[in-house]
Amino acid sequence: MATRDKLARERTEEYLAEHPADTEALISVRGLKKYYNKGVIKALDGVDVDIHKGEVVVIIGPSGGGKSTLLRSLNLLEEPTEGAVFFEGVDITRKKDDEGKKIDINTVRQKMGMVFQQFNLFPHKTVIENMILAPVQLGRLKEADARAKAQALLERVGLGDRADAYPIQLSGGQQQRVAIVRALCMDPDVMLFDEPTSALDPEMVGEVLDVMKQLALEGMTMAVVTHEMHFAREVGSRILFLADGKLVEQGKPDEIFSNPQSERLKDFLSKVLI
Amino acid sequence: MITAEKFAAALGYWQLFLEGTLCTVVLSALAVLFGFIIALLLALMRMGKVAPLRWLATAYVELFRATPMVVQVWIVYFLSRELLDLPNFLLFGMIRFERFLPGVIALSLNSGAYLCEIIRSGIGSIPIGQTEAARSLGLPAGKTMRLVILPQAMKNILPALANEFVTIIKESAITYVIGVQDIMSAANSVKGATYSTLEGLIIAAVLYFCLCFPTSKIIAHFERKMSRGYKR
Repeated sequence: MATRDKLARERTEEYLAEHPADTEALISVRGLKKYYNKGVIKALDGVDVDIHKGEVVVIIGPSGGGKSTLLRSLNLLEEPTEGAVFFEGVDITRKKDDEGKKIDINTVRQKMGMVFQQFNLFPHKTVIENMILAPVQLGRLKEADARAKAQALLERVGLGDRADAYPIQLSGGQQQRVAIVRALCMDPDVMLFDEPTSALDPEMVGEVLDVMKQLALEGMTMAVVTHEMHFAREVGSRILFLADGKLVEQGKPDEIFSNPQSERLKDFLSKVLI
Repeated sequence: MITAEKFAAALGYWQLFLEGTLCTVVLSALAVLFGFIIALLLALMRMGKVAPLRWLATAYVELFRATPMVVQVWIVYFLSRELLDLPNFLLFGMIRFERFLPGVIALSLNSGAYLCEIIRSGIGSIPIGQTEAARSLGLPAGKTMRLVILPQAMKNILPALANEFVTIIKESAITYVIGVQDIMSAANSVKGATYSTLEGLIIAAVLYFCLCFPTSKIIAHFERKMSRGYKR
């Protein structure tokens, strides 16, 4: 195990020597690979991506193409088989930085909010308790301040009167809006969305997308995996097209949707409703 | 045959039964408490990343589940006599400590093995998304377990826990073989003193029932209370 890790690390270093990370970028991914079943399944097969501050990067592509794996690798919920993920200039896949200081993934994750397909609210806690749990437990805010902040965030997404409700008492769209503001409560530098509307009833998709759009307009850096092509086109500042574990094509929404280059992307776009 | 006279004679020793009941209650409560702590440690070891700890916990669980309780009680009793110099005093003025403590230890060790499996299945029943959500907020693994996973797991395993608690009250009767003065031992003493076996045993059965039945009802009540927030 240790030897395999060491070999992977060596290959990553070699790759980085030829393809250095973009230190200006908020997130810089290099040579990212994620294999399952000893390499039989290659969810990610060598991906390089940079995400700059203020960008709204939308990741599209066929199912099983590696979209979610890429997104989940950014905060290491998915541990890469090989490759590097730089966050604010630091390679977070390493145990220690160049000065030998330990890299604490928990501190990094505090700056990367994440929203899941299945909402993943804590069912035993009320809406506001869900939101203040992390900021209070991690010593970022005092409980009273956290409550005030959470309440203000809830007002912003139109849920000011549901602070004391339990998640199960909310609709799917409301739950997802709570999940978004729960992540915002930590003042993240970037927000990661993993198919945030895929588990919603159609009539609730809009309310969640509206919140995300608002967030994008306020300048939040976002990485969004979605099948909502309208959203991608309207809100995205850059589109990544992932298929078979590779970044096949990327560009501005207009280029991607109106003038796709690769056959793979043309084929994909012909099958999705726009 | 069971006669009214014999019953009256057995009931004449009510003080013995009262002391026995108190002993059973304290014994079971302590066993449940320590058993739960042992079980929590074992469960975390078995689900942890350190392989030797995982094997150790697994071996422990299998060992205690595959040997009879009465053997465990005797072994703990004789080991405690060999290894520990237990003070010979009366707890609450009536419970012989050097018999009582090995009883508590044996019951705790045994129920720890069973509770471990219950806790493990409870933790396993919580969707992985809960852990991911907590970790993505920056909560460390320990806090995630304590604040997010365990509270939900406890709710799921409460019925099984209640069962185990009741089981311990009943199984604690076995400790009378090493001289723990519980309800069972009271029935035994009455038999020796009055030559009426059945009457003493029936009183013991009634007492055990009076302990076990309400316990399961009380826990069922808490189960309903804790499930708030899960219902519309």
